[in-house]
Amino acid sequence: MPPPSSEGWQLIFAQLRAQRWGLAIGVAVGLVWTVGKVSAPKLVERAIDRGIEVGDGAAITRWALLIAVAGLISATFTGLRRYFAFREARWSEAELRDRLFAHLQRLHFSFHDEAQTGQLMSRANTDLQQVQNFIVLIPLTISNGVTVLAVTVILVRTNALLALLALGTLPLVNVLAKRFSSRLHPTMVAVQQESAELAGVVEETVSGVRVVKGFGAEPVQRERLRKEADDLYEVSMQSTVIRSRYWPALELLPNLGLVAVLGYGGHLVLDGRLGLGALVAFNAYVVLLIWPLRMLGMIVAQSQRAAASAQRVHEVLSTEPIVVDPARPVPLPPGGGEVRFEAVTFAYSGVLANAGGRVERTVLDGFDLIIAPGESVALVGATGSGKSTVAKLVPRFYDVDAGAVRIDGVDVRHAAVREVRKAVGLVFEETFLFSDTIAANIAFADPDAEPAAIERAARLAGAHEFICALPEGYGAEIGERGYSLSGGQRQRIAIARAILADPRVLILDDATSAVDPTKEHEIRDALAEVMIGRTTIVIAHRPATIALADRVVLVDGGAVAATGTHAELLATSERYREVLAAAAARDAERLGAGPCSDGDGGAATDPTGAGAVGGERFQAGLAD
Amino acid sequence: MFSMASVSEEDQLDAESAKRVLRRAGRMLRPYRRQLRWSILLILLYTASQLAGPYLVKYGIDRGIKPGDRGALDLAVGLYLVVALLAFFVNRLQVVLVGRIGEGFLRDLRVRVFDHLQRLSMPFYDREKAGVIISRMTSDVDSLQELVQLGLLQFVSSALLIVISVVVLAVVSWQLMLICLIPLPLVVVASVKFQRDSNRAYLSVRDRIGSMLSTLQEGISGVRVIQAFAREDVEVGRFGRRNRTLYDAHMRSVKIQAWYLPVIEMAGLGTTALVVGVGGWMTTREIVTVGTIAFFVLSLSNLFEPVQMLSQLFNQVQSAGAALHKLFGLLDTPVEVGERPGAVDLPPSGPVRVEGVSFAYADGEPVLRDVDLAIAEGERLALVGPTGAGKSTLAKLIARLYDPTEGRITFGGLDLRDATLSSLRERITVVPQEGFLFNGTIRDNVRVAKRGATDVEVDAALEAIGVRERFSLLRDGLDTEVRERGSRLSAGEKQLVSLARAALADPALLVLDEATSSLDPGTEVLVEQALERLMHGRTVVVIAHRLSTSARADRVGVVDEGRLVEIGTHDDLVAAGGRYTALFDTWVRGLARA
Repeated sequence: MPPPSSEGWQLIFAQLRAQRWGLAIGVAVGLVWTVGKVSAPKLVERAIDRGIEVGDGAAITRWALLIAVAGLISATFTGLRRYFAFREARWSEAELRDRLFAHLQRLHFSFHDEAQTGQLMSRANTDLQQVQNFIVLIPLTISNGVTVLAVTVILVRTNALLALLALGTLPLVNVLAKRFSSRLHPTMVAVQQESAELAGVVEETVSGVRVVKGFGAEPVQRERLRKEADDLYEVSMQSTVIRSRYWPALELLPNLGLVAVLGYGGHLVLDGRLGLGALVAFNAYVVLLIWPLRMLGMIVAQSQRAAASAQRVHEVLSTEPIVVDPARPVPLPPGGGEVRFEAVTFAYSGVLANAGGRVERTVLDGFDLIIAPGESVALVGATGSGKSTVAKLVPRFYDVDAGAVRIDGVDVRHAAVREVRKAVGLVFEETFLFSDTIAANIAFADPDAEPAAIERAARLAGAHEFICALPEGYGAEIGERGYSLSGGQRQRIAIARAILADPRVLILDDATSAVDPTKEHEIRDALAEVMIGRTTIVIAHRPATIALADRVVLVDGGAVAATGTHAELLATSERYREVLAAAAARDAERLGAGPCSDGDGGAATDPTGAGAVGGERFQAGLAD
Repeated sequence: MFSMASVSEEDQLDAESAKRVLRRAGRMLRPYRRQLRWSILLILLYTASQLAGPYLVKYGIDRGIKPGDRGALDLAVGLYLVVALLAFFVNRLQVVLVGRIGEGFLRDLRVRVFDHLQRLSMPFYDREKAGVIISRMTSDVDSLQELVQLGLLQFVSSALLIVISVVVLAVVSWQLMLICLIPLPLVVVASVKFQRDSNRAYLSVRDRIGSMLSTLQEGISGVRVIQAFAREDVEVGRFGRRNRTLYDAHMRSVKIQAWYLPVIEMAGLGTTALVVGVGGWMTTREIVTVGTIAFFVLSLSNLFEPVQMLSQLFNQVQSAGAALHKLFGLLDTPVEVGERPGAVDLPPSGPVRVEGVSFAYADGEPVLRDVDLAIAEGERLALVGPTGAGKSTLAKLIARLYDPTEGRITFGGLDLRDATLSSLRERITVVPQEGFLFNGTIRDNVRVAKRGATDVEVDAALEAIGVRERFSLLRDGLDTEVRERGSRLSAGEKQLVSLARAALADPALLVLDEATSSLDPGTEVLVEQALERLMHGRTVVVIAHRLSTSARADRVGVVDEGRLVEIGTHDDLVAAGGRYTALFDTWVRGLARA
């Protein structure tokens, strides 16, 4: 069942309209090709009937030269026609892909929360290729169509009955080619599917080789692969069988036409009603039409696939970004970065796969908080209390359902999105770095940043030392093709990235949680440095990190449950103690590097490991 | 999925290795000998049928139309019909047959390479990048698959068609054949240049698709960071440039086609013109007949189309050859930790002895030096020590994931290197830190530890460690599909699956690498209990990361800088005032604060 794809068609037509002149050239070039292609057999006919048959040497030479000219034209234009067809098709593919990417960059967080990366990737990759495969056929098909028409006219005018015999089977070629293409396609998709499944087994067996060896799972995995290989063989053979059914038939049909030409046409020549040359020309024309007719069949099937693909692309492109600039943006006044939450209510709305329907879960309900310029606040709360959500509302990743979030007095919805984002720096819970140099990653907010500024940010984040230890220093590539850094190192680069942006408000979303507790103190030192004199929101669960903040805010049930210093809350709030205890239980009782540490920070005198949970800073926090 | 980084120069193959690859592929095709013979016969028949058509036209003209013999004409027509139908059936058969051979060969190859990968030992996996190993079984085998499905038959029959056409054309009229050879040098030169250029263009397209896709992927998965830093415009520009270079690479490849195709077509039509011109003149001298000219005109496509086909397919053939070369190279990789001839089964149980063992990984530095250790049957030994001290390596050697560089390790008195691998894996199980899950149900995941285990056995294993309840709470119970590496399960639940595997394997010796990552408090207790039950009655070597674990062990070994520096009971070591004492003190202090 093909999905409804009228919008897919609209997308394709709009793209074709935009490229109409390029396509027109493609069609024009194709028509010249048609002229060369169609005249060649006719010229052979003349050469035989008016030259060879009558023994006229001069005529032979003349027609032979004309054949060469026709050949030159059709040959040159074969190349050109192909070139222009592909130029337009590849261009539309590239342009649609650019549009898609730009649109994805504009789409709001809640869209990306629901969309799967793999799905979006295949929109921009396989789906656009299907569209490309169709567009390339358009100019080619037009000249092919004209060729079919022209040949038909020539043959019918030469001898209608013979033309009918010669071409009678050819419409079937068209029908068969269409059916072939649409039957073959699903089996090829199945082959890809099975290949992917087999690759999945290989992939997990290789990446889980320790488990495989540890449990002696080789025989089981071997059996699984054998099954996948057998399945792949089966679907590949299905695809082969379909090929074997249609392909030979597609070759047989024109051959039957040729037999008819020789049979009926031969007798016509004997009766003197047809020239011998015309007979040869008939033959050549039938051969000439084989490919154009096959392609006409293919384009029908291809167009359906392309429309379905374009429909999927359209679905993404037609999703309107929700978080956009207001009609008249209010500039953020100069200020020290005061952040105000006024009775904020917020719910994520999304389709949860396992729930099977739309669900709305209220996360914040009447959340009020004022953070003074330059103040640092730690948000503490149990999992699901809404503390991360609070952080995501400040840079306007999401819009509140009720109430308002203000930076220096301006509702974030009334300012330009770009300005709000520039005013807020965020270190995410999960560090995401790009496959680029370290310098480029740090200078992410400002690609033109001076090397000195980059280094300063790196020093502040405590990253300078390990960066310098790399052979290429700041120029070292990281990611897929470069160095792989430890979690702590990546985190420090992310912090440097936020520092370089020099935001009014800095948000650290559990920036230390991904780090080995024995290494956490390094990050903590960096954070303490950065927070000086800057409005900072820290989301944390380890006392040592919480202690960095001026004030602690306990978030519970989507609202502020208590606020005060760490020591005050510890003394007065039962819930606060519970939350911390639960978090500590998760971290506790680790036997880390301990006394015989590898020297990367933990000496015997500085108890890391289990001690990290309640290290010296924790003490300092208590003393505050 | 988009690891296309590992392609490039290796895609070329020199003549010598090409020969070796062919010979070896030939050997692998032996089981298909009979089908292969049939398919060669069919391909020959099919090729002959393609030449028979034009020849029958010539016969019809020269013997029928020219002398006015209607019988001869009808004979030619009748034969033509027979040939066309014959070609139809032969074609159907050959497509299926060649498909069966090719797909069968690929299936055998996949199974063989994977089996060998399963035999290869840990040193191999340490040396090679996972991505490269995986690409052998994916992109390399895929390029062979592409050839089998879309090109192999065409490649063989095109080559045959050229050869047979030349012979037949020469027999019919050697003079006209010589004329057909005139454009040949041009065709050869153009084809060689085309092949070289298009190969380069193809590689560049592939490379740029890879980098476009990885930029795309980063742009999508990093979109939150991009938006947070208001970098959308820069990223759109960056992607646009990548996308543009891909377009340029595509266009270069199209341009190469755009000059090559006309050259070949021009050669074909130019030859037609020559045949008509010169041949026409020759008919007036009665050197050739009109039918012969018709035959040549109709057959020229049999000469030039295959040339074009061949040069288009050549790249595919070449990268398939290179892929095969790499795959054979993998099959030739020796198994380091293998089974000796005359290996015997390990005894069902017994003590473990580590005698004078030293070990260095391939890159040199010794990790273990002269370690001696005896573990009694049923004893529980905890290994502690800093990261990189060698405790994990020692545990891996005891499980024979590696062989010691010096010294030996025995189980029940038998050197592990003299044991059959199957008995080794049966007696000794390693439980890694992370509960790694495979695609499939929870039951499937437990079952990996024992081939052909029944549901009853799996359930019993889960029951034995007391975790069956936990999983039956899930909607589909034990038949719940764990998606994407078990993203639906918590770390603790994954651990439980891992422990259930060990219970199913029911080994005499259990080597445990304790998890360092924190578990959710809910499962934590369950994991503890399951571990306790699992360890009961077995010899256990545990790499301990928590002091509570080492405190519960019968004996504790402290490993540092490749040596076993302290060994004894927890109480003795705490009292001894050495490394372990210091470790213990830190822990006690930490607990007091929390």
